[in-house]
Amino acid sequence: MNDTKSRIDQACRVAEDFTKLYYDTLDKRRHIINKLYLETGVLSWNGNGVIGSKKIVKFLMDLPGTDHTITTLDSQPILDSAVNGQTTLMIQVTGTVKYQDKSPKTFQQNFIVTAQGDKWKTVSDCFRLQEPLTPKN
Amino acid sequence: MPKHFNRNKQQSWSNDRSNDRDRRVSLKTHNNKYDRKPQGQNRDWSNAIRSHLEEEDVDMGFSAGSSRNLKFNRKGKGPVRGRQGSPPPQNGRRKLLEGPSNWYKISLPHGDKFDKTFIIKTLLDKMAPLPFWPIAWQVFGTTITFYVDDFKVAQKLNNLDRQIQLPNGFKLFIRVYSGTPNVDMTPALKEKMKVVMAKRYNSMTKALDLTKFHADPDLQDSFCALFKPVVFLAVIDIISENIPDLEALNLHDNKIQILNFLKNIPKKVPNLKILHVGHNKIRDIAQLDCLQGLPIIDLKLDGNPMCDKYKDKPTYISEVRKRFPKCMKLDGIDLPPPISFDIQEEHHLPPPQQTFLCNADGGSIVRLFLEQYFQIYDTENRQPLLQAYHEQALFSLTMQYPYGYSKETKGVPWLNWYATDNRNLLRVSDPDRRSKLLKQGHLSVVSFLQEMPQTKHDIHSFAVDLNVFTPQMLCLTVAGMFKELKSGHKTPPLRYFFRTLVIVPAGSGFCISNEVLHISNATPDQAKEAFKTTVNVVGSPAPPQAVATSPGPGVPIPAAVAVFDDATKQEMVKLMSAQSGMNLEWSLKCLEETQWDFQRALLTFQSLNAQGVVPAEAFIK
Repeated sequence: MNDTKSRIDQACRVAEDFTKLYYDTLDKRRHIINKLYLETGVLSWNGNGVIGSKKIVKFLMDLPGTDHTITTLDSQPILDSAVNGQTTLMIQVTGTVKYQDKSPKTFQQNFIVTAQGDKWKTVSDCFRLQEPLTPKN
Repeated sequence: MPKHFNRNKQQSWSNDRSNDRDRRVSLKTHNNKYDRKPQGQNRDWSNAIRSHLEEEDVDMGFSAGSSRNLKFNRKGKGPVRGRQGSPPPQNGRRKLLEGPSNWYKISLPHGDKFDKTFIIKTLLDKMAPLPFWPIAWQVFGTTITFYVDDFKVAQKLNNLDRQIQLPNGFKLFIRVYSGTPNVDMTPALKEKMKVVMAKRYNSMTKALDLTKFHADPDLQDSFCALFKPVVFLAVIDIISENIPDLEALNLHDNKIQILNFLKNIPKKVPNLKILHVGHNKIRDIAQLDCLQGLPIIDLKLDGNPMCDKYKDKPTYISEVRKRFPKCMKLDGIDLPPPISFDIQEEHHLPPPQQTFLCNADGGSIVRLFLEQYFQIYDTENRQPLLQAYHEQALFSLTMQYPYGYSKETKGVPWLNWYATDNRNLLRVSDPDRRSKLLKQGHLSVVSFLQEMPQTKHDIHSFAVDLNVFTPQMLCLTVAGMFKELKSGHKTPPLRYFFRTLVIVPAGSGFCISNEVLHISNATPDQAKEAFKTTVNVVGSPAPPQAVATSPGPGVPIPAAVAVFDDATKQEMVKLMSAQSGMNLEWSLKCLEETQWDFQRALLTFQSLNAQGVVPAEAFIK
């Protein structure tokens, strides 16, 4: 049981550090954000899928400038049976994002982050803006 | 009487009140604003009056038998008609100054003794060639009051004081003051305005012509002047309620001074492209700031004092373009296209997609899984979900109001229920509490799910992302809307959820090992899209049967994993047959054509059957 508790603690701490670094990099140093993804990582951005860290960084570079503010953060360790014992976490974030100083939009985002050697890398990144799927026009 | 406006003309703003317009033009000695002298002549009332006096004297020379010489005692010599009875004390006549609003109240003491038509006719005769158009005619006791919107007319009326012989032997008293009444925006008045606006609206061109609105014959009884914010706001209300797709608005000649009280105009009339506000009294272009964001391509401002501020045309154009970058026509003149930079400032976000599947094979599994999961989740008894969770499953919840629709916003349903279990790590820093808020083990998870408010999910609103699909693990994110039922709210709140599931194989099926759920409210924009699909798929009896046909206890979702083997295909054909009433052969056909996507097959059948195109032989068993 102690083991579980310490893994939960770890998941929470990593979630805090990871999200801080992730949004800082995305907002200010986006060109190196590929370092936070697994080479085979997957991004689904509002349903637009991008596979591979190189393509992900290219996709993110094409987005307008951003300014993220986090309002909620949650994290769990993923059960061993799912990941063959490789330490892996699920992090879920909600907040607001401003694109080019336009008014903030609400977003939700989920990361699956795994320990590859001594580095945390994103396996899966799912981002959604809280907006209708079929906007006018 | 002035002509009634002919509203049948289409296209451009009709110039149909030419009489009226001509008169105005003749008043302005200089039409081209760029040629104007920089001195603010309008402000210098005494100059203005003097120049009007001179003009008027010349005019009067042509109208025989006028009483011009009576007007001002400094010129008041010579033969005078109508002085015989009781000579009016010329020294007592008040000089009328041009007021800032350019509205004048006229009162006729003892005017009640005569018929309205008679008075109007009498005044019209005396006023000629000036037009006379009394607004908001009212009788208070023995006094008649009305308003006029023109200084020259007011001045002329002032000069006619005690000059008109009435049938009863008395002379008509005419008192002229500068000013306007307060407007009480009653529902009745608004209704009247609505009718007049409908008359002035051209649905072909989506153009609304409010030129000289207050002088509309149908509004003449009320003081319905657009320069009054209360009137303007009512007009905007009527537009946004009835013709929000308006594209052209003409506000020519309404004495409008300020606009900065307007709010959210780009939201209320998002398509407004042509705006004519010429010949008003707007002093500063900053008054148009509240209109920024409108897709204006054609703007008319000439005839407003603000235009005098600009010494040169390029400055004027750039001030306009700053606010309306797409403006291509200003004061009727085409503008050169703006020169811009090659690096686009405007990035566009990729349009949202409803579904992302990292592996196409995962699609049908995911769909079946979700249908079966929410089929159970939306009932009163969520206990069967016990089998859908791993024995050591983890579950946690966060909640947050969407941006701009916080708890304090009127009409926003509170999310209080979810606050107790809100595991927001930004707020909860104590490790014990963090651990406690994480539901651990399937018993703990499902008993919490059972406690959560009852729901009805709109499965068609779901956005689904399948980011991981390996033999060991699926990672699935689902976002969408649901109605919260029986939770003590007056109307069931429409919530938005975003939940990520890690799903692992278990026995012959799957189960959830990790789940994070985020609960929010649907934004008004989202709410418009919710529960739009009327086909009752979730409520159809198919999924429970699918669950029922699954072998043994274990996992409740085995149908999903078995999609690809023949035994399951046979089950699906049978199910399809039972659901649709078609025979096995046709059921098989239908499923094959929809790549064994059961829901799609059923939907396709329902829609074809509704159109009556399913052949009769399909139903012969």
